[in-house]
Parts: sequence; C-alpha cells; structure tokens
Amino acid sequence: MEIPNIYKMDYRLLAIAPLLLLAISLFFIPQIKLGVDFRGGTLVALDLPNKIDTVTLRDSLAAAGLQGEVRGYETAIGYKAEIEFPQSDALLKAEDLKAKFDKLLPEVTTLEIDSQQNTTKTTEYMEKRKEIEDVAKEMFVVAKMQYDSNVSSVNDIERSFSAAYKNVYSDYQDSIIGPISKNVKYTSISVRTVSPMLSASFIDTALKVGLVSAILCAIFVFLYFRIVIPSIAVIVGAVCDVVIALGAMGLFGIPLTLPSFAALLMLVGFSLDTDVLLTMRMLKRKGDPRDKAYDAMKTGITMSIMAVVSFSTLFLLAYFTHIRTYYEISAVALAGLVGDIFATWGINAVILLWYMEHRKGE
Amino acid sequence: MDILRDTKLLVLIALFAIFGAALAVWGTYSGILLILALVVFGSLSLTWHEKHLKIAALIFIVALSLLNIGVNGVKFGIDFKGGTRIPVVLERPVDQATMSQLVNIIKERASGMSLSEVKVRAVGNTQVDVEIPSSDEGRIKLVEDILSHKGVYLGIVDGQIGVSGEHIFSKTIGPLTQDSLIRSGADWGVSFTVDRVGAETFAKAANGKADYPVYMFLDRPNDAALFYTRSEFRATMYNDSGERESLNALKAALKLDGGKNINVYILDDINFTDANSTAKPYTNKTFALISNSSAALYGQQLTEAGFVVKAVSDNSTKPTYMRSSTGVLILEKLEVAGLLSSPILSPDITTGIPGYHYAITGGVESTDPTVKAQLGRERTQYMESILKGGSLPVEISLGSRTTLPATLGEEFLNLSLIGIALSLIVISLLIGIRYMNIRATLPIVAISLAEFVILIAILGSFTIDLAAVAGILAAIGVGVDAQIVITDELLKKDEHSIEEKTEHAFEIIQTNVIVATLSMLPLLFSKLISGVVVVEILGFAISTILGSLLGYLLSRPAYAVVVEKILDIESKEKK
Repeated sequence: MEIPNIYKMDYRLLAIAPLLLLAISLFFIPQIKLGVDFRGGTLVALDLPNKIDTVTLRDSLAAAGLQGEVRGYETAIGYKAEIEFPQSDALLKAEDLKAKFDKLLPEVTTLEIDSQQNTTKTTEYMEKRKEIEDVAKEMFVVAKMQYDSNVSSVNDIERSFSAAYKNVYSDYQDSIIGPISKNVKYTSISVRTVSPMLSASFIDTALKVGLVSAILCAIFVFLYFRIVIPSIAVIVGAVCDVVIALGAMGLFGIPLTLPSFAALLMLVGFSLDTDVLLTMRMLKRKGDPRDKAYDAMKTGITMSIMAVVSFSTLFLLAYFTHIRTYYEISAVALAGLVGDIFATWGINAVILLWYMEHRKGE
Repeated sequence: MDILRDTKLLVLIALFAIFGAALAVWGTYSGILLILALVVFGSLSLTWHEKHLKIAALIFIVALSLLNIGVNGVKFGIDFKGGTRIPVVLERPVDQATMSQLVNIIKERASGMSLSEVKVRAVGNTQVDVEIPSSDEGRIKLVEDILSHKGVYLGIVDGQIGVSGEHIFSKTIGPLTQDSLIRSGADWGVSFTVDRVGAETFAKAANGKADYPVYMFLDRPNDAALFYTRSEFRATMYNDSGERESLNALKAALKLDGGKNINVYILDDINFTDANSTAKPYTNKTFALISNSSAALYGQQLTEAGFVVKAVSDNSTKPTYMRSSTGVLILEKLEVAGLLSSPILSPDITTGIPGYHYAITGGVESTDPTVKAQLGRERTQYMESILKGGSLPVEISLGSRTTLPATLGEEFLNLSLIGIALSLIVISLLIGIRYMNIRATLPIVAISLAEFVILIAILGSFTIDLAAVAGILAAIGVGVDAQIVITDELLKKDEHSIEEKTEHAFEIIQTNVIVATLSMLPLLFSKLISGVVVVEILGFAISTILGSLLGYLLSRPAYAVVVEKILDIESKEKK
C-alpha cells in the first residue's frame, strides 16, 4: 500500500478538496432534521408479521386525526414500521397551562389562608382565585373534561387540575395507540413519547455537554503543545471534521438525536487523535517536515481505516436489524471518519507544514 | 524464571486471588471491583518495567473478567432480553435530590412486591423509566398499580379524624425555619396549613385534648382487626408496662369513629368455637392483620371465622411505644396499621378555636451535632412525605410502555454479536495485509479479543444495552489504533533505540487517550453539568471511555512488549 508522498508538491493545493467539502457541508447544515429526542413528539416502532402498505396506513391514521410519517422496512428478522408524530398541540398547551398554574398557585394559597383570618384580603383573594380557576378551566377544555365549579378551596382546584393534566397525557397515548391497533396487526409495539419538557431538557443538556466538551479539549490542546499556531491548527482540524459530519447529516437525512449526538462527541475525540498524532510527529521529531507529515499520514490513515471498518460493521448491523441507535451512531461516525481524513491531512497538515517551513526560514 | 523468587509476580498473583475472591463473594459490586482491578493492574503494569509482568497483568485481568462472566453472568437490557419499559412521567421537573429520592422510593415499592430485577432509571429530570423483564400483562398491571399508588393521610385524635390529606395545602408543607426550631426547642419540625374545612375539623377533634397524641396514619386499613399471640405480644411490650396498659395504648391509637376501630385480640384468649366470641369480622372483607409466625398457627381458624387473613412480616406487627411527658403509655408506631408517628398536641391548639397553621416537631436521640442535623433532616423529610400522602415527592402519570418480546431481543443480540465478530475478523485481516507480518498481526488480534472480553465483563455487570454494544464496536475499532501507532513506530528505520521508539509511541497514545476521554467525559457527568443523566447513550460513553482506559493501562504496554520481542527475533533471524 504505497501512496506517493503527497506533501512533496505544493501542499497548499491539498487544502482545496477539504475546503470544498466544508463549503458543501455548510450549505447542507441548515437542512439537518431534529429527531424525536430534541423536537419532541412520539415515535412508534412496530414489528409486523407481514409487509404493510405505508401509504394506506398513513391515510387511515390521518382519517383518525393523526398526522404522522410512516416508514416501512424489511429487516433480517421480519418487517418493521416506524411512525413519527410531531409534538402534539394538546401537550404543548397543557405544559403551558401547567406553567401558568404552578406560578399562580403559591400566591393564591397564601391569599386564601390570609383571607380566612383577615377579611380585608378577601377581594384580592377572590380575584386571584378567579385567575387560577380560569387557567384550570382551560386545562379542562384541553383534557376534554367537565369542570366542576363547586369547589371550596384552592386545594380542590389543585387536585382536579392535576387530574385533568394527567388525563391529557393518557388521552394522548390512547389517541395514538387506538387507531394504530385498529389499522395494523403488530407483534410488538414500542412507543416513545418525548414531552415538551423532556425535549427541552435534552436540548439543554446537549448544548451544555457539547460546550464543556469543546472547551475541555481546547484547553488541553493548548496546554499540551504550548505553541499557538499548531494548537490552533489542531482545533481547526477537529472543527472542520465536525462540520463535515454535520453536513453529511443534512445531506443524507441523518436525524440529530441523542445517539447521533453521542457519536458527534466521539468524533471530536477521534478527530483530535489524528490531529494530535500529526502534530506530535511533526513537532517532536527531527527531519524533513514533508517526510514527517507523510509518515504520520500513513499511520493516521491506517487508524482511520480500522475505525471505518468497525463502524461499517455497525452500519451493516443497523441495515439488517433497523435498530435506530446503531444506524444513527454509525452513520454519523462514518461521515465524520471520512471527513477526518480530509480535515486532518488536508487542512491541519497544510497549516502545520506552512508553519514549520516558514518558522525555519526565520 | 524462578516464580517463587519473583516478588512482583507473586504480588500480581496475590492480587488476582484477592480480586477473584471478592468477585465471587460480592457479585453485586462486580462492575466496580473489575474497574478497580483494571486500574490497579494497569498502574502496576505501567510503573513496573519488567516485560513479563506487563503481559502477566493483562492475562490476569482477562482471567478475572472470564471469572466474573462465569460466576456473575452478564446483564442485558430489555433491548436484548425482552421485557417492558414503563415511563413514569413527572408532573414537573425535579432537582437531583428529589429525583434520587423518587427513584429510591419507586425501587423500594417495586422490590416490596418481590419483582426480581426491576430497573429504575431517571430520564432527564422529568421522567423515570421502570423496566421489568417480563411482557406478562398481569405483572405489568401490578407494577403500574404500585407506581400510581397514592396514599391517604389521616391524623386521628382520640378516635376522631382531625386532619386529612385532602385539606392540607400541599404547597405549604415544608420544614420549619431554624428560628422556629430554636424557639420551640425542637430538633426538627414540619409546618403546614389547612383550609377552612380542615381547620374546623381539627378544632373540633382537638378540643380539650391537650397532651393527646395525633396518630398519623398513611393508608390506614379501615376494615381490619389485629391479632397477636400472648407470647408475641408480651415480647414487644415497653420495659415497665403491663399487658393491660399496652393493650389499652393499642386500642386508643387504633380507634376511629364510625365503626372503623381496629380491634386488637390476643389469640390465646379467643375461643373460636364460641358463637358469642367477640372476635368477629365487620364485613366479609375484614382483614385479620397478623404476623407470619402467628399466621402459621392461627391462620386457618381465622379464615374459618370469616376473616381475610393478611400475614405480614413479624417486624410489621411489632408496636413501638413511648411515654408522654405525663407518663402515659402511647403507641407511637405500628407499621401494619399504617401508623407512622404520634406527635403530641400542644395545649395552645386544643382550645377549640380553628387555627390554620400547624407544626409537628420532635427531638432526636443524639448529642453529636452532625448526627443530630442528619437525623433531623431525615425525620423532616419523612414527616413531609407522610403529610403529602403517598410519600412520592411529586405527582406522576404513567406513559405508554414499550414491550419487546424476548425472541426479538435474542435475535438482536445474536446479530450484534455476529457484527462484533465480523468487525474483529476484518480488522485482523487488514492489519495483516498492512504489515505483511503474521507475527505482528496475531498479538493485535489476541489483544483486541482480550479487550472485548474485559469490556463485556465490566459492562455486563451494569447493563448491556444497544448503546453499550455500539460503544463496544467503537472501542474495538479505535482500540486497534494504538497498536498501529506502536507498530509503526517500532518498524521505523531510524537511529533511535527500541526503548526510545516505544517511549515516543506511548507519548502519542497517552495524549490520544486523554483527548478521547475528555471529549466523552462531560456526557458521563452530564448530571453535574445540566442536572440530567442521559440514560439512553450513557452506555456508549462508558464503553468508549473504558475502551480507551483499558487500552492505555493494559493492552498497549502488553502489546509493545510482544512486538519488541518479535522485532528482536526477526532481527536475529536476519543475522
């Protein structure tokens, strides 16, 4: 496996391909789909005894008032269907009302207690109580229940509000499973509902974890190499890699979900690995930079190929079993590993070579 | 190689024996033990320079892993084993402390129903997933019932209901401030406010009952009778009290107007054949609350007498007494009846005038300030949970469940294992082609296999789910990388010695491991960063980090030793 030393020529030309990839990726990034984890909604996975017509299913569900995407697959172990429903308006409204209710409750409670002992507070209490009762009534509308206005204390309102809130959720589940059970014969069903609250907490976590990860790695790189330009080059290499992976997600429709997010994190580590290998070989060795870069490239590409092999296996597994987790992780990893080859040996190496040859010149 | 003289090797052998024994005895902690073993053997492998020790360390860890797999088995998640996952949706986001509390309570409830292997995991900060390894509808319904159970709180004064949970403003239940505690001279306290109806009810019940206890019940059985054998009863009496006094204390605590007394009987005194015997059930559903040991003797007769026998643990029927400041014997606690506490009414709230604010306070039996604070906190939380009637800190609703049939799970597992094997084979082939050197390839394959076994053993002692398997594949693919770095370095033809080249290689590998770990670590600690544990992909993070760690600590050093030997042999062959 003897590749010629590509660094013997005007190596700046090597940066063209990666930069092109970057440009294309940036174009596709806005098209990245958010998965159920981050967008909220419901994902139903069905194992079926026989093949079904996805279009018919989608239409029958629409007739029952459910707007969902239906996808069918043939896997190594039978047929599978996935139905994805967007976040339910009812749930969104319920969460909204709950937030309002929770905010008013302590105030009204205190007022009720005060007015029991001090009648001057009664008018204020009645006002606020009407406010909270209105919120409760709205919730009852969403829950399609009857509101019993015969309540003596805000305690009762709280209890019935809770019941209505729970009802909205269980109604939602029933409204999904009901029509599905009616229209499809399945051997197993899995329903994953991500409420607005949950999806918000996932997004929050992903952003924070991603940020901390990036900062930790950046700090380490600078502390380790202690020279500005090579450190920047390493970070640039890693960033380009992630951008290319994201672009691939946009282009190929790989959704951003918790597993694909985990794969992106792993990519950061892996791509930094190859960048670090290159930089260490270049900085801490004697010899012609171009030769060193070439040597590093041989090692680095072998490393990348091995990783590509194992993730390709995962991808194949995903293809046969249609396990989403496998698919999302492997697809992102593969895209990133390919991108890493371009980013490390096309961009990072070029910057480093330029740096070393110009530094020598001084 | 004289084994007996080689102290370091003996140390390794001793460590192996110790860890092996620990794994066999403390199976539940096997995961942590294995990781500990990994770190110990790994550190020794790094610091000791003797080559045979590095290989020995790897062999010992693999042996420990195999031992663990054999003795403690491998735990699979429902993705591979089949089962049901029930999401428990919380009505509002909770903080970490509340979430841990909630998870523990659910775990206790589930294990109380002797459901083996119920896994309870927090998902985000608004959901808890409960997994049971069964798709049986009956069991699932049972679990759902347990989860949605909401207790009824009753505070009874002298046979009358004083406070009931529905009249307490839930938002007002909370710990007393430090100032109030100091003023009332108590170690812990919980305050709450009741609504108008609650206030009137309490005023009526507490009127003139200063120094009476308020018996606080959670899920008091209202249609039941309590039975003891004489010997059993006498064994549980307070040190200086007699049988009559104790019986009276019990009866006082368990009476409730409206025919809801829980009568107490001494089994030895009952003549079951006498038609006029007082031990008769109220209805055909009346429970006979009795300890397991007594049930063995009298269960049959009680059933014939028309009771529904409910046998509970001996501990559950054991009464806890105390003496009030006026010397009266009071029943403080009786688990089987749901009696959890009996604080004494202070005079100023027994005047008959409706009051809205109440506080329950108490002392702690300890003089050590830290212990006092800790116990005080626990009692406060306990009291709060009773008042909130259900001891779940937050309202829950049950989400839709996921059911995976066992057969499907098995198929997934088989395919996944095939995938891993395939990956190993292809990688080995490629390495062989790259280096055109069988002698270099074999160690790589052997070490990758060793890594795989160790990873399975460690992950398997927690749970292997889909994310974990993906992580294992990732670890294998990336793990080989370090071996490649070493091989390339050692094969280089330059003026450095083998030792120096190995040093170079390790420098690179070390940095790589640190970087790879740093990028995944925040995910592992997401609890600290955003308060949320992302359970779905935790397995992936753990596998990849473990894989890096494993490689750095053991596989790499061992491999380097092997490759050096090979190069040695080959250079000698050339000569």
